[in-house]
Amino acid sequence: MSDEHPRERPSAAQILATYDGPPLRIMEVCGTHTHEIFRLGIRKLLPPQVELISGPGCPVCVTPVGFIDEAIWLAEHGATITTFGDLVRVPGTSGSLATARAEGGRVQVVYSPLDAVAYAREHTDERVVFLSVGFETTVPAACLAVDQALAEGIGNFSLLTANKTMPNAYAALKDSADVFLYPGHVHAITGTQLCEDLAEQGVSGVLAGFTAKELLTALAVAVRKGGEGKPFFVNAYPRVVRPEGSPAAVALINKLMEPCDTEWRGLGVIPQSGLKLREKYESVDARRVFDMPHIEGRANPACRCGEVLQGKCKPSDCPLFGRGCTPQHPVGACMVSGEGACSAYFQYGGDVL
Amino acid sequence: MCVGLSARVVRIQDGTAIVDASGARRDVSVELLDEVEPGDYVMVHAGFAIAKITDEDEHETDEVLEALYA
Amino acid sequence: MSTEKKVTLAMGAGGKQTAELIDRVFAQRFASSLLTADDAAVLDAPRGKMAMSTDGFIVSPSFFAGGNIGKLSICGTVNDLACMGARPLYLTCAFVIEEGYPLDKLEQIADSMAATAAEVGVTLVAGDTKVAGHGQVDGVFITTTGVGEIPEGVAPAGDKAMPGDAIIVTGDVGRHGCTILLERDNFGIEADVTSDCAPLWKSVEAMLSATHDVHVIRDATRGGVGTVLYEIAGQSGVGVELDAAEVPVDPAVGGVCRMLGLEPLYLACEGRLVVIAPQEVAPSIVEALHSCPYSQGGKVIGRVVADRPGWVVLNTEVGTQTLLPQPTGELLPRIC
Repeated sequence: MSDEHPRERPSAAQILATYDGPPLRIMEVCGTHTHEIFRLGIRKLLPPQVELISGPGCPVCVTPVGFIDEAIWLAEHGATITTFGDLVRVPGTSGSLATARAEGGRVQVVYSPLDAVAYAREHTDERVVFLSVGFETTVPAACLAVDQALAEGIGNFSLLTANKTMPNAYAALKDSADVFLYPGHVHAITGTQLCEDLAEQGVSGVLAGFTAKELLTALAVAVRKGGEGKPFFVNAYPRVVRPEGSPAAVALINKLMEPCDTEWRGLGVIPQSGLKLREKYESVDARRVFDMPHIEGRANPACRCGEVLQGKCKPSDCPLFGRGCTPQHPVGACMVSGEGACSAYFQYGGDVL
Repeated sequence: MCVGLSARVVRIQDGTAIVDASGARRDVSVELLDEVEPGDYVMVHAGFAIAKITDEDEHETDEVLEALYA
Repeated sequence: MSTEKKVTLAMGAGGKQTAELIDRVFAQRFASSLLTADDAAVLDAPRGKMAMSTDGFIVSPSFFAGGNIGKLSICGTVNDLACMGARPLYLTCAFVIEEGYPLDKLEQIADSMAATAAEVGVTLVAGDTKVAGHGQVDGVFITTTGVGEIPEGVAPAGDKAMPGDAIIVTGDVGRHGCTILLERDNFGIEADVTSDCAPLWKSVEAMLSATHDVHVIRDATRGGVGTVLYEIAGQSGVGVELDAAEVPVDPAVGGVCRMLGLEPLYLACEGRLVVIAPQEVAPSIVEALHSCPYSQGGKVIGRVVADRPGWVVLNTEVGTQTLLPQPTGELLPRIC
């Protein structure tokens, strides 16, 4: 990017191009960052000793196979599934929501959980389940939906939760990178205290926005500060992220949900890294409403997503990449969503360009 | 992980705002924001406004880089 | 004209009521000396090479901002012929109508078909009408088949793109797909977007009068401009390089796409061509396009290259290159 500036200060792209410090591993935690970095071709602006690792911040990718199986079970047992479009093609143990729909299941793509409530309001003869995936950014929307359904006495709406939270994931990943690009919109909700605390524990990170300028700037901060070797935290997305985050959103989450151990596809169970509805909200918990049996999914054993998510191998190092596993026919976690590391790598030409 | 959309608030009623992103308009919940008025910019995710924001990134990135060299 | 009147199964049974339906809705609107009252139209054969194409139309909803399924059914086949450089001469149309479909809407559809055909100068020469039971079709389905005449020395084809050629689009991309998405109203989004649905023979005619040196013409319908470019790259065994900033997108279409995480290059168009021709004739092609009402936004958006055959590469806003992701079928919004 051309950066016309009256002073001597180099542009973000110049800072990146001229970096001559030690090797740096930077993990972009957020799937939207992964997607935008690939879409914009930003990796090509980095010097060879700076490596970008695509972390586990794609909710679709880290949602375990068993969750899709649960959703399909619900569709087969009379539920109307409402979901973000992202989940429709994700493979379960056998089949996806797209195949369930083809076989007569009701699967409705929505823009917002609030639209799912509106659907339930208009279709009182259907039992509507919203697939609640996503991190702290997305959870408040699901909570607003539950709040609204309860307030209006809409009795045919429930959530199937697979929500995840970041703090313990950071802890699990802290040795995987030298600097983290923190997910801007998660911290718009949760604030920056956690990032400050991590810096004190020796974990460095930059909070990044999503435009080309913001991503380049955050990466420039990461290499300049990272090259100095002292732990740091910089909020490079202050137009959106306030230090205190969104207390109202956090309060709403805490009112309706509580932490639980949860499985991350590719990474295994991370303690207290998930959210589930509190006991008193069992009337909107789809697992209770439908008296669902315990369903265990089975992932393809050849898939190396777990290592990709920790930066231990590149997508193209996996034996399935581009052969058995493509965005059209995804096998593993990182190929299933447009934001997954393998999918972005495949689609934006990581192995072609 | 969380696609966000920067949009301008056009109208507000009962915790719901109509927001506009270059001519595309939609209802979003602004229940979780303290104060928001028509003309403000918000970051929208999955049908609710997660934060009140400034719309452009030019200033912000300039300031972040300035601070690096301060 | 009563708005209460509806199509009945009896109207499709082939008897008196069928004749009445055809008389009332189609015969006068499509009237010409060539329109057959017999089993087949008898026509003068085109001179030289001819092009022939057929297409089925099942758009839901059948009326949308900027057109309806009738206009679409004429434009679709006219544009398919135009892509071979063929002047459209004759069209046939076959209707499958759902029992209970309002007759006045059917008349509006026929009006649009007649008006669009007249605008292009193509003649409807034969038709067929069937009525299907309620729920067996969604409103009305139309199939049109067309025949066109190809001028001497004109032979565009998908396998003729050459490294060094310019890539031109005849206007902003993705409007039809965006319009239909909004009409279906699944996502609660509103925007002032109208379909680009338009007959493009006049634009092709103007282009061909400027030069016959046109390598590929393709209409970007389902799958949009992105899908067409991948098809051409594959057929011609070449690479395609697009300048992302040059791809024209209506601001509101861009806004809708950002809301839903969609790529405008993959939204359908119904009045946009991708034209590939040598760089040196590109300016005269663009000038010719600008002289026609439906291609005033025509512009060069990229070039054909020898590198990376089969791939479409985008030059990004930060000065690097990425691939345009390959089309994945059903468009699903990306939210979380």
